[in-house]
Amino acid sequence: MKKIKKIVSGNEAIAIGAYKGNAAFASGYPGTPSSEILDYFNSFEGVKAQWASNEKAGFEAALGASFAGVRSFVTMKHVGLNVAADPLMTSAYTGINGGFVVVCADDPGMHSSQNEQDNRNYAKFAKIPLIEPSDSFEAIGFMQYAFVVSEKFDLPVLFRTTTRISHSLGVVEYDPRKLDNEKELSLDKNFEKYVMIPSNAIKRHTRLLDKFEKLKEFSNQTPINYVENGSINVGIIANGISYNYAKELLPDAHFFKIGFSYPMPVEKIREFAGQLDKVVIIEELEPFMEEELKAAGVKIEGKKYFPREGEFNLDIVEEGLKKAEFIKKSKDKVIFDSVDVPKRPPALCPGCPHRPIFDILHSHKNIFITGDIGCYTLGSLPPLSAMHTTICMGASLSVGIGASKIETKEKIVSIIGDSTFFHTGIQPLIDAYVNKANMTIIILDNRITAMTGGQPDPSSGFNLANENFEAINIAKLAKAIGIKRVFEVDQYDYEKTKQILDAEIEKDGLSVIIALRPCVLMPQKIKDTPFVVTDKCIGCKRCLRIACPSIDFKNNAAIIDEATCTGCGVCQAVCPVEAAIVLKEK
Amino acid sequence: MKNEIESVLFVGVGGDGIITASNVLAEAFMLAGFDVKKSEIHGMSQRGGSVSASVRFGKKVYSPTDKLGGVKFLIATEKIEALRWIQYINSNNAVLVINDRIVPIINQTIDEKNIDKAIKNFKTNTLIVRKFFEEAEKIGSVKISNTIMLGVLSNYLPMEREFLIKAIDSIVPEEIKSINMEALSVGAELVYV
Repeated sequence: MKKIKKIVSGNEAIAIGAYKGNAAFASGYPGTPSSEILDYFNSFEGVKAQWASNEKAGFEAALGASFAGVRSFVTMKHVGLNVAADPLMTSAYTGINGGFVVVCADDPGMHSSQNEQDNRNYAKFAKIPLIEPSDSFEAIGFMQYAFVVSEKFDLPVLFRTTTRISHSLGVVEYDPRKLDNEKELSLDKNFEKYVMIPSNAIKRHTRLLDKFEKLKEFSNQTPINYVENGSINVGIIANGISYNYAKELLPDAHFFKIGFSYPMPVEKIREFAGQLDKVVIIEELEPFMEEELKAAGVKIEGKKYFPREGEFNLDIVEEGLKKAEFIKKSKDKVIFDSVDVPKRPPALCPGCPHRPIFDILHSHKNIFITGDIGCYTLGSLPPLSAMHTTICMGASLSVGIGASKIETKEKIVSIIGDSTFFHTGIQPLIDAYVNKANMTIIILDNRITAMTGGQPDPSSGFNLANENFEAINIAKLAKAIGIKRVFEVDQYDYEKTKQILDAEIEKDGLSVIIALRPCVLMPQKIKDTPFVVTDKCIGCKRCLRIACPSIDFKNNAAIIDEATCTGCGVCQAVCPVEAAIVLKEK
Repeated sequence: MKNEIESVLFVGVGGDGIITASNVLAEAFMLAGFDVKKSEIHGMSQRGGSVSASVRFGKKVYSPTDKLGGVKFLIATEKIEALRWIQYINSNNAVLVINDRIVPIINQTIDEKNIDKAIKNFKTNTLIVRKFFEEAEKIGSVKISNTIMLGVLSNYLPMEREFLIKAIDSIVPEEIKSINMEALSVGAELVYV
């Protein structure tokens, strides 16, 4: 069969690798930079892919498919594995039936995340193999290999990528055929292996430790940990994207390229380092490999020269190599002087239904707003400035519950989107009812997971396979729990929305307000007749406070960009002057 | 032999179509026989923030991202963004293609004269600042302004223009192929106008 040559992202490459590796089932929860993997995988014929309401549920669904005998995987961003850590730790004890891979995308530099935790630690925590590609080409091969390793050791494999690998593209060339599947499909009934009651788990823990000893040997033998000889007498050990930076900067060094990074190939590296004058290890974030090697007495340095935080790039790695005296100080750089320009932060889209909610909340001075994760986290930025906490998925409600139990002068408002609500917001909604929390909960139900690119969720009414279902009605759900004060509002009706929000914030007890306007971008792009500013504008700038990208201010008056204005009318609703903002005549 | 890696940096604002334009160029380099890597930033940048993409090509490319002062070619779809990324440009021999346009920033007042002055200060052989939206409207749509800019740049790239044409043919949706081909050749001629 003819080979395919094309340019693909790391995420597409992971999906291609999974398909070629004969994966039949995948699940996950969207999260930058991992979100596109499942979409790409879903585009292949004959596979089953589905979004789960959170990472734990997705992990367990993929584990279930593995128990049924097929190769399966689950995708998530780094913090998602915190949610799925429970099944991770115990699935290391049970092992798998069909090959099972946990694909996890870290975000060094926090391009779109709340922290930059290094998930390689989870491999050590769970005592499972860890595989890390350096680019798209490797991702295709390594993903297939991960299924083989999983089945060889009867363990889940952690497959770690980072933003720079997931969202960079490279040329790949591959045979589109799948690996053979020889495994018989049947659910494996094995009480001692899969039922983790203490008497069985005790034996499985011993078994896991035995496997771990074999994994250590394997790491020294696997072809994805290898030496590239150079011409100068220094050595560089590197994994992931760091390898590419170092290889471009100092191609003449000896390299120890790490693809299988836990357990570490200690003996092979000891031999490598022993032949060289000086060896450094380059790894983003934590000194994960460095500590393993130093504990084994291998002479290397790492974080002495390279930072422990942030994303690496060519300049940072070059700086480290200079500190290590691997490269000499370079000649003067040929760069332009920097020019000071204002930052361009992301903003809620024109017509975004979240905007009026934040504008209304902004006018309340005596409230404390616990927020959550999604596009609406942008409501925390000026000039909307209407969010006081953002911790992790679902935390808006639970943090709000605790805060509401303490007598302060502020009323508590918690704000959460639909996808985040279904992820980990339902349980704290139940807690708020059971524990009689005194708070106002706003659920921004725009019917889609917008932040990560528009993946369907339980209120979308369709799933990843494009099958329709009756969308889950959050108001009915809240009432079924037993909550009495449940309201639905249309945010484009600014006055009515404000009336309900103001009244409920004022009252004691628990209220739930569901804001029902759909996302303006997904699944359908919404664009109605735009508004225009008339000569009645007094230049008060009230409309600028809603932070709409379509509104600018020139010559002492507001001006609306007709091309991007969606016609939501929120600027008109907040404008204090009659007829200063009007619908454009057709 | 030394492995020379060169780079085209695309910068602009979310929604400008930078990802598509950079995909076309990356495809062209691959068809022309180069190794190619491309980096782009997703996530928060979708919501109207700064966006960049970098297409790096050579015999063998390792890093997908650029070094300060390491970029020879810049395509900027907006002037403030051109200034933001200017330290990545090699001041010796750069080719800068900039769309003469400003996208307002929420909560900021921008002095366009200062921006223009700063851009004029770039001492480089090739600085092309034009209202590419106007050129695009002449052909029929502002949406093809990026392809016109690619056409301009094609005069300076170490690759025949036919590979860009092939790339458009393989990447761009059928219904807008011909207008993009036209935009490419209009851009290629603009330098001489």
